[in-house]
Amino acid sequence: MKRVVIVGGGTGGTILANNLSGKLRKEIERGQVEIIVLEGSESHIYQPGNIDIAFRGAEPEAFRRPPTKLLRRGVKLLQQPAKHIDLENRAVTFDEKKLNYDYLVVATGSVAAPEAVPGLAEASLIFHRSQEEAMRVWEALSAFKRGRIVILTALPHKCPPSPVEAVFLTDELMRKRGVRQDVEVIYATPYTRAYPAHGIADVVEPEMEKREITVQTLFNIDRVDHQVRRIYSLEGEELAYDLLIAIPPHRGADVVVKSEIGVDEGWIPTDKHTLNIKGHDDAYAIGDATNIPISKSGVVAHLEAVTAAEAIASQIHGISNTYLYNGRINCPLELGGHRAVFVSGTYTRQPEGQKPSLTKYLMKRIFNRLYWTMLSGSLEPIFKMYLGPTYEVK
Amino acid sequence: MVRHIVDARGSFCPGPITELIKTYRKAQTGDEIELLATDPAAKSDVAAWAAKSKNEVVEVKDEEGYIKIVIRVLSKGS
Repeated sequence: MKRVVIVGGGTGGTILANNLSGKLRKEIERGQVEIIVLEGSESHIYQPGNIDIAFRGAEPEAFRRPPTKLLRRGVKLLQQPAKHIDLENRAVTFDEKKLNYDYLVVATGSVAAPEAVPGLAEASLIFHRSQEEAMRVWEALSAFKRGRIVILTALPHKCPPSPVEAVFLTDELMRKRGVRQDVEVIYATPYTRAYPAHGIADVVEPEMEKREITVQTLFNIDRVDHQVRRIYSLEGEELAYDLLIAIPPHRGADVVVKSEIGVDEGWIPTDKHTLNIKGHDDAYAIGDATNIPISKSGVVAHLEAVTAAEAIASQIHGISNTYLYNGRINCPLELGGHRAVFVSGTYTRQPEGQKPSLTKYLMKRIFNRLYWTMLSGSLEPIFKMYLGPTYEVK
Repeated sequence: MVRHIVDARGSFCPGPITELIKTYRKAQTGDEIELLATDPAAKSDVAAWAAKSKNEVVEVKDEEGYIKIVIRVLSKGS
């Protein structure tokens, strides 16, 4: 019997498990294949929902479900966190038990780590780590009447559009509350412009100027002194704040760090096309967990999961195809006023500018609802039609 | 002196500056960072970043299908 172990039941791990169980249904029924997901959390969180919680006061319940409700029949869920991954001996340890595998997928995501920057954890509110923290952002913004709000990005972090969305929605909220004239909104970014991709920056920057949002570029946070409410940058500049909302630097998951299979802040060295963990043709890494220089986002986790599922299924079927992810991204970016753009590209095609539209905003809102169905894999034909090819077969 | 190789080829979003800054944070004064990128904006972005952060761009070269930029770390800004 072949055993596939998937470490992590977030977006990537869930899509991969469901997709693979569909492709290997007969083998699973015959007892020839077993798919096991290891996930310690009792709730699967739809993370883009944190924007709605933090900046619109949305109820968190709509954005979480138990993982037991999300996996298809044929996938075994062990509600235990993986403690150690041993790539050499093909084993994953959990709760003092060892699970050997034939194929491994590491889909452990990333962790927002404000503690990596001196003073940042005490000084800032964040919305990238939990629904509870996102609710605290909403409480603070709802009570803010006068002064300077700084929204600051540190590298590396997940979801490149999220800081810019936070800026626009903060501006929108202050206008709705009738206090914008007394509130200064500053966006501090490490990049040379308001969005890293040129084409998208050309759309975002005039919108920010129109709304009197100040952009402080090339500002790489070094430390924060919350007593005097000042942020200091690696470039030698400082910035005062009354309320600091941070997108903190992220790191790899604890299990990756402890297993010593990551580099730098715990990112797994991964081939950007085959998604194999480098040096291991029986192990894959997908989503935020990798060191691939691509956005850490749900769409990347999704499309990498589909690619890895094809690769594993074909190997189990004895087909010698190689599946190569092409770096397709397609991330919605909301600009307030019920308008959005999509940041779309591949490894070889950079994102292009486009007119913000209500249609794109509605697509983003609809996807919030479709997400739970999307996890099952049943919408893949629609995504394939909409996104075009996301991998090459050789 | 250590030369850090940063391969950001294929990255447009979030782009090569993300990979450069990650490496810069752990580099020491005197080290060199060799950045490989396919994003054509890398040249102007790195030049702007180096000027602001008081580091030095020592080489910019168009290779086949990508750009190589070498930065010497002179300052961490503190």
